[in-house]
Amino acid sequence: MSRPRALENIRVVDFSWVRAGPWATRWLGAFGAEIIKIEWPENERGRLPSTTTPQNLEVNLNTSGNFNDTNVNKKSLSLNVRSAKGLEILKRLIAVSDIVIENFSSRVLQKWGLGYRELCEIKPDIVYVSMSGYGHTGRHHHYATFGPVAQAVSGLTYISGLPDKPPAGWGWSYMDDTGGMYGAMCALTGLYHRNMTGQGQHIDLSQMVASVPLNGPALLDFTVNGRGSRRPGYPPGNRAHWPGTPLVNNYRGPTVAPHNAYRTHPGEYNDWCVIVCHTDEEWQRLVQVMGAPSWASSPKFATAIGRLQHQEELDEHVETWSMTFGKYELTERCQAAGVRALPVQSAEDRVKHDPQLRHREMYLEMEHPALGRHKVQNAPFKLSETPASNHLPSPLIGQHTKEIVEGLLGYSHEELRAGFDDGTFWPTKRARFPYMEEMLQ
Amino acid sequence: MSDDPPLPGPLAGLRILELADETGQFCGKLLGDLGADVVKIEPPGGEPNRRIGPFLDDIPHPERSLSFWYYNTSKRGITLNPETADGRQLFGRLAATSDVILETFRPGVLASLGLDYESLSAKNPRLIMCALTPFGQTGPWRDYASSDLLHMAAGGEMASSGYDGADAPNAPPIAPGGGNAWHMGCHFAYVAIMAALIYRTVAGQGQYIDASIHEACALTTEAAIANYIYRGEVLRRQTGRHHASGPTPRTQFRAKDGAYVCALVAGRLNPKYVRDLAELLDTNGMAGDLKDPKYQDPAVIAANTSHIIDDLVANFIASLPAEEVYHAAQEVASPGARCEPRRLSSTTPTCMIAASGKRWSTRSSAAASSIQAKRPSTTALHGGSPDGRL
Repeated sequence: MSRPRALENIRVVDFSWVRAGPWATRWLGAFGAEIIKIEWPENERGRLPSTTTPQNLEVNLNTSGNFNDTNVNKKSLSLNVRSAKGLEILKRLIAVSDIVIENFSSRVLQKWGLGYRELCEIKPDIVYVSMSGYGHTGRHHHYATFGPVAQAVSGLTYISGLPDKPPAGWGWSYMDDTGGMYGAMCALTGLYHRNMTGQGQHIDLSQMVASVPLNGPALLDFTVNGRGSRRPGYPPGNRAHWPGTPLVNNYRGPTVAPHNAYRTHPGEYNDWCVIVCHTDEEWQRLVQVMGAPSWASSPKFATAIGRLQHQEELDEHVETWSMTFGKYELTERCQAAGVRALPVQSAEDRVKHDPQLRHREMYLEMEHPALGRHKVQNAPFKLSETPASNHLPSPLIGQHTKEIVEGLLGYSHEELRAGFDDGTFWPTKRARFPYMEEMLQ
Repeated sequence: MSDDPPLPGPLAGLRILELADETGQFCGKLLGDLGADVVKIEPPGGEPNRRIGPFLDDIPHPERSLSFWYYNTSKRGITLNPETADGRQLFGRLAATSDVILETFRPGVLASLGLDYESLSAKNPRLIMCALTPFGQTGPWRDYASSDLLHMAAGGEMASSGYDGADAPNAPPIAPGGGNAWHMGCHFAYVAIMAALIYRTVAGQGQYIDASIHEACALTTEAAIANYIYRGEVLRRQTGRHHASGPTPRTQFRAKDGAYVCALVAGRLNPKYVRDLAELLDTNGMAGDLKDPKYQDPAVIAANTSHIIDDLVANFIASLPAEEVYHAAQEVASPGARCEPRRLSSTTPTCMIAASGKRWSTRSSAAASSIQAKRPSTTALHGGSPDGRL
């Protein structure tokens, strides 16, 4: 059954690499936009180095598992844009495209002669999204970031951890994932505006600035109340409040207890369950789930304030009980009684054990020409008329060069061959992949 | 910034009805900050999240919740009780002239009130309705209760975040702060709504969106899923740095002023990088033996990784305030704008965001202010809140 696609007939020139940019265009592709990755093997960043190549495959430009998941729904054009001929081909492509998106360092595209002004000369209503670390303006615009740097500078790292310990931070590049989301949000917003007004624009996104608002109300607590994040008991780990410190809100909802991660049976590395009670009523429900133990009837645990004051003792009791169940059974028992509880889930847990993600078809298999058949992550939303879907595996590098150069841009087959011979479409001294030889026949 | 009056936001002309609690209000704010007319519909007495702190001057009051303020800029507010016949009738009239309804009720609640998408779109076929809920409208967990911490657990954020054993023995997995489960859900909801709006500019027709916060969180742990799918690896938590299948060198160092500095040195130690690093450390006379030509041999670098990171880099950072390390590293690495900079920067508390001196400095903290829109001859900063809303 063929469903309409939200971004049918939208073409995106995608210079992005590593994670944040490709994560942005992944979602445009899922809505049916034609994403054309501009790649060059000599300075490629995203396919290599690969730490996600299956153990039985050779590590090369086409065998990164994480690249595959990050770049589904895209095509690849290998093109030397530093050559005059390559730049000319690129301009012909931009002339028939709707969006240009890149996550180079600030002003790199400008130096190539492809700043917004030049892009407008090629395509007057182009939507140009630049995703740089600090934005294209300001005295630090040339500073470079990866996700962890943006997280550190913006404050996100500092607000995650236990009090009196180094920041635990984020165990991955949250701001590459989320910078990518903002890239997609910018592109879609610019495209909507163009459809409504006929006018394109340059959207100058800063990964670091995008991460600042994600600190949440901590920012207002400082700007309005003057309360900084360096204070006793903050950040409070998984708790809403750290015992023995001033009773202030720590930006994770209401200030309540229990509110923590508790070990579960059999006590392995990821055997934890989180339990939260927002109200006295929810606490009483938890007491019933625990079998109404005598300790829980103590008056000191009867009120939210009492539970906060005696949180260490409370957490010890809860964990003694939680250790007697596996994390999924504990979750089911709690939720059946209306108690907020969910398991800490590893990647394996999410892919193999999470019944909700299975029901929602979060991970469906897809065939990739070099990697074989593997599960790929799906969209977290279901649109009734134009559902997002993974319809192409990630491209092999340069896989669609012929299709784009000849089919879309109208160059002859001889011109394609000449471009391979002179280093426009592939470095002359680099071995070609078999599919490149095929496209030259 | 030019002196020109601000341009209208890119979403000017759109009307959004927001029936959202703490889980979805950030999405409404993003839409509003970018120019949409967002009408927040609260129950009589106000949204319960008005009772969530911190509060202005620490005085609890529904009009003083900084948490509520933070997430509700750029909106107009009304109260309406959809559980009464009058409320439903009024809501129906609003829905007939709106572009998007953003709702976060539990699955089935709006339908039980006769306010399901089928009924509302019958009178307004262009209507887009996005239901953003913890687990989506279907499935075994759809009625489960949740919270930010619960989503961080089930979504996988906690399994990736925490401490090296040496830093905090027996520490649990740690949920990153800031209420980011809601942010993750709202980012994806925003993307879905925009896709539906773009489709509507072409097809003239609205649609229904079922968005799940759990799925959004489960998607937001970078390569953790790929590591498992392609290699069967379950990654382990490490202090302040990436999850990994085995231990990796530390990336957090304490500066002279006690602040932490994030320095992503490991993994980048090639001869060129070591020369840059030596130049940086030498600015404070602390290059040690790093300028020795032997370090131009990758094998020597590899054999001395611990010495370079745990002695030289750590001592250099300990000798200077964090701000100085941060700027010195970035400038040495990228004078002007070189493409292969050293990634050093400071881990500072949020007070690094300098106070503007004005009490209501929230305007520039709008999420959308990370986006600068530029048209020929005009520069505008989208975002902020209309005067008087706060």
